[in-house]
Amino acid sequence: MQKDINILVVDDEPVVINSCERVLREEGYNVHSAMRGKDAIHLMEENIYNLLLTDLKMPEMDGISLIEWTRKSKPSTGIVVITGYPSQQSIQDVLGLGCIDYVPKPFTPVMLTDVTYRALELAKKTPPLEDFPVGDFTPEMALELNSIINNYKNMPGNLIPVLQKAQEIVGYLPPEVQKQISSKLKVPVAEIHSVVSFYSFFTMKQRGKHLIRVCEGTACYVKRVSAVLDKLISELDVKVGEMTTDRKFSLESVRCLGACGLAPVMMIDQSTHGAMTPMKVVEVLDTYKQP
Amino acid sequence: MQQYRAHLMLCGGTGCIASESLKVKEALSAEIKKRGLENEVNVVFTGCNGFCAEGPIMTVYPEGIFYERLTEKDIPFLVEEHLLKGRPVERLMYKEPEKRHAVPAMKDIPFFNLQVLRVLRNKGLIDPEKIEEYIARDGYMGAAKAFTEMTPAEIVTVVKDSGLRGRGGAGFPTGLKWELAGRVSSDTKYMLCNGDEGDPGAFMDRSVMEADPHSVIEGMIIGARAIGANKGVIYVRAEYPLAVQRLNLAIEQAHEAGLLGEDILGTGFNFDLSIYLGAGAFVCGEETALMRSIEGKRGMPIPRPPFPAQKGLWGKPSVLNNVETLAQIAPIILHGSDWYRSLGTEKSSGTKVFALTGAISNVGLVEVPMGIPLRTIINDIGGGVKGARKKGGRTFKAVQMGGPSGGCIPESLLDTPVTYEDIVQTGAIIGSGGMVVMDDSNCMVSMARFFLEFTADESCGKCPPCRIGTKVMLDMLNDITEGNGKESDIETLQDLCGDIISTSLCGLGQTAPNPVLTTIKYFREEYESHIKDKWCKAGVCRSLCTFIVDEKVCTGCGACQRACTQGAVTGEKKKPHEINQELCIQCRACYDACKFGSINIGPAAMREGLLKDTPAVSV
Ligand SMILES: Cc1cc2nc3c(=O)[nH]c(=O)nc-3n(C[C@H](O)[C@H](O)[C@H](O)COP(=O)(O)O)c2cc1C
Ligand code: FES
Repeated sequence: MQKDINILVVDDEPVVINSCERVLREEGYNVHSAMRGKDAIHLMEENIYNLLLTDLKMPEMDGISLIEWTRKSKPSTGIVVITGYPSQQSIQDVLGLGCIDYVPKPFTPVMLTDVTYRALELAKKTPPLEDFPVGDFTPEMALELNSIINNYKNMPGNLIPVLQKAQEIVGYLPPEVQKQISSKLKVPVAEIHSVVSFYSFFTMKQRGKHLIRVCEGTACYVKRVSAVLDKLISELDVKVGEMTTDRKFSLESVRCLGACGLAPVMMIDQSTHGAMTPMKVVEVLDTYKQP
Repeated sequence: MQQYRAHLMLCGGTGCIASESLKVKEALSAEIKKRGLENEVNVVFTGCNGFCAEGPIMTVYPEGIFYERLTEKDIPFLVEEHLLKGRPVERLMYKEPEKRHAVPAMKDIPFFNLQVLRVLRNKGLIDPEKIEEYIARDGYMGAAKAFTEMTPAEIVTVVKDSGLRGRGGAGFPTGLKWELAGRVSSDTKYMLCNGDEGDPGAFMDRSVMEADPHSVIEGMIIGARAIGANKGVIYVRAEYPLAVQRLNLAIEQAHEAGLLGEDILGTGFNFDLSIYLGAGAFVCGEETALMRSIEGKRGMPIPRPPFPAQKGLWGKPSVLNNVETLAQIAPIILHGSDWYRSLGTEKSSGTKVFALTGAISNVGLVEVPMGIPLRTIINDIGGGVKGARKKGGRTFKAVQMGGPSGGCIPESLLDTPVTYEDIVQTGAIIGSGGMVVMDDSNCMVSMARFFLEFTADESCGKCPPCRIGTKVMLDMLNDITEGNGKESDIETLQDLCGDIISTSLCGLGQTAPNPVLTTIKYFREEYESHIKDKWCKAGVCRSLCTFIVDEKVCTGCGACQRACTQGAVTGEKKKPHEINQELCIQCRACYDACKFGSINIGPAAMREGLLKDTPAVSV
């Protein structure tokens, strides 16, 4: 059952609210509803919602303002738009505001549950900024970051290069780093967060001393990289995407390192190890384990 | 200039560096110094040679002797024998598979002698960090001709006449793309290079950027002149640090040489070039998404029109070309369109680089004229399936082309010529040039599942057919590989494929079903045996196989026992071994370890039967 999941439905048409409630409750979600933007904000201040489903055209406060408020005040709530006017432009506009998806009106129950399921998955993948541990973001790093930001300040499209440099300095992109970049570049935190979560190069998790990247590209797959990955998982006792308890290694999987001629391939920090076998995993790890 | 009597071209591509060619380089320098040969022998650290699996490799000129799999320990002997005594070292040369004699000269090795190098014209011959070496091999002659003897319209005409088609996947005629952008008038235009190389299993662009960065830059300068662009950006994956470093250096050198920046070659034409690091999202290889990404946004595709030629990066007219496309340009300008057309076919002219990987003897990068049969690439250049000549050896099953947008081509179609038109007929695409060979130990249903997982994962999520459709298909394929498939699944999958193709917004979704469609088309019986017999004959899907030892064949060598991590294999030396089905986790380690083909793969039911027969052991 999905009983721990809270969804808020906002629409000025009772029919829509009723059908959403019926369909989503059947799936086991907790559903609350509001007919006006103001009421919705009130509810969101009281409760924590995993997902907000909102109409765009409503009297008084319209959907866009509600979305903007939610992005700012409740960044961990995923947003899906219900709209009767799904034109390319309006969809692009709402996606640009950081919404996950849209449901066109009228909709079938399957459409609604599909979109809801997927949106919840995505919202889970981009956990709220506050959930991340405060890491080793030292004052020296902050200074270095500032000078980098100053260098890029007037360049259009500077956000991604700045984030790359920041990750180089700090090792990952914790909330403080994103906030510092936000205030210096004058870009909303929500936008930064949405870019960070889109690209696989960026991570909000602290990494171990050594980063192990295992290739799961086609050539490596055909050459049975899975056995190598299994061995790493058991040797290090760590899941893919996580760091060992002694903070020595992080294990990640990537799609092709461009060294397919040596498949199966893994990289530890900047060095590439080709023609890997489970046995070789042990050998290679040993060379990094020595203090 | 210093005259050397020997040039040692040691490969410094990513593959060879991973096989420790840096150590070989140090050992070489030290040894040459020790022997006092510094003024006679020149060591060049080149870009990727292409024969990556045999690395580290080195070619010694003037004789052209090819050495492979060098280690630092081999160096003192090699220097003494070859460079001092003039006796090439046979032990370190290439040997033809299964025939033991050494092949000394690079030009005699089939892997090399069937190739025609245009894009890779400088591979293994120059130091990619020195512009002089590029120039010495006709580098920037194409640009000089384009700037001093040709009008932009003439450049476009030559490229159009050459028949060159984009090598990034879609195969759109390059000259036409340039012409469209050239016609639009605007104060700013952009010439962009796509070095995102998202297709997993392909590495040609990486090699070109690492081995010959100037060839890409020269192509961009000529393109910029043709369309009237004064700004350029090369979009490279951040995962390619060596490519980034070499491109940066090359841009700097080109600037100093007056080939970039203001008033290029004294013609008054300005062109500024910079590098942009991609941040890892497959969909960013798509042109509109790539431009959004350079603008610092989430890289999501937008519907066309407007086409980038009218409204691209920052809303300005833009042309995006693939790395390999651009590397073809300079020779075309220099030698003309007829020269280019002298290879290839009417509709697919020139040469194409392929990354040949997977279950093949000679893994590496190959450049061939378009129109040669797939069989020539796989059997002659690639040396056939690896381990095919052994007793009970592997057999060819399929070659995958075009990555997640492509398909699997079976043995029966290996005589298909590699051209854009012919490959499409098979259901696959040429794509960016990845060619992954699969043998009978690969399961085609898992392969389809693998690609679907990739596309479902990389779908940017913007349009529902791609996003939800790939997810639904992935779930079905998961069910089939886990033994929960239904007989109707094959038809349902085919229907879903049709829907996704016709309704997705960008190329990612429109092509995502190809791997599924081609595997159903050519390997339907594999789907059926997964669904009906619960049997994965390749032994890949763990819930659908049983590993048993064929007592008649087993020699009792113990290799399987050593490979098993579960302690499931038992048996005395020199006597047939046995697999304890209770402990076996179907990881296939024993099967891969056996050199005699004595491990058989049965259906899931066999295991259940065997388990029932053995009374449960109480502990
Ligand atoms: C999902 C997707 C991914 C793509 N990835 C790449 C890529 O990694 N490299 C590339 O050169 N082209 C890629 N393309 C093709 C580009 O959109 C574009 O057609 C190409 O870069 C144009 O250059 P060309 O005409 O020289 O081939 C991709 C297309 C799609 C739809
Ligand atoms: S597929 Fe693994 S490096 Fe390319």
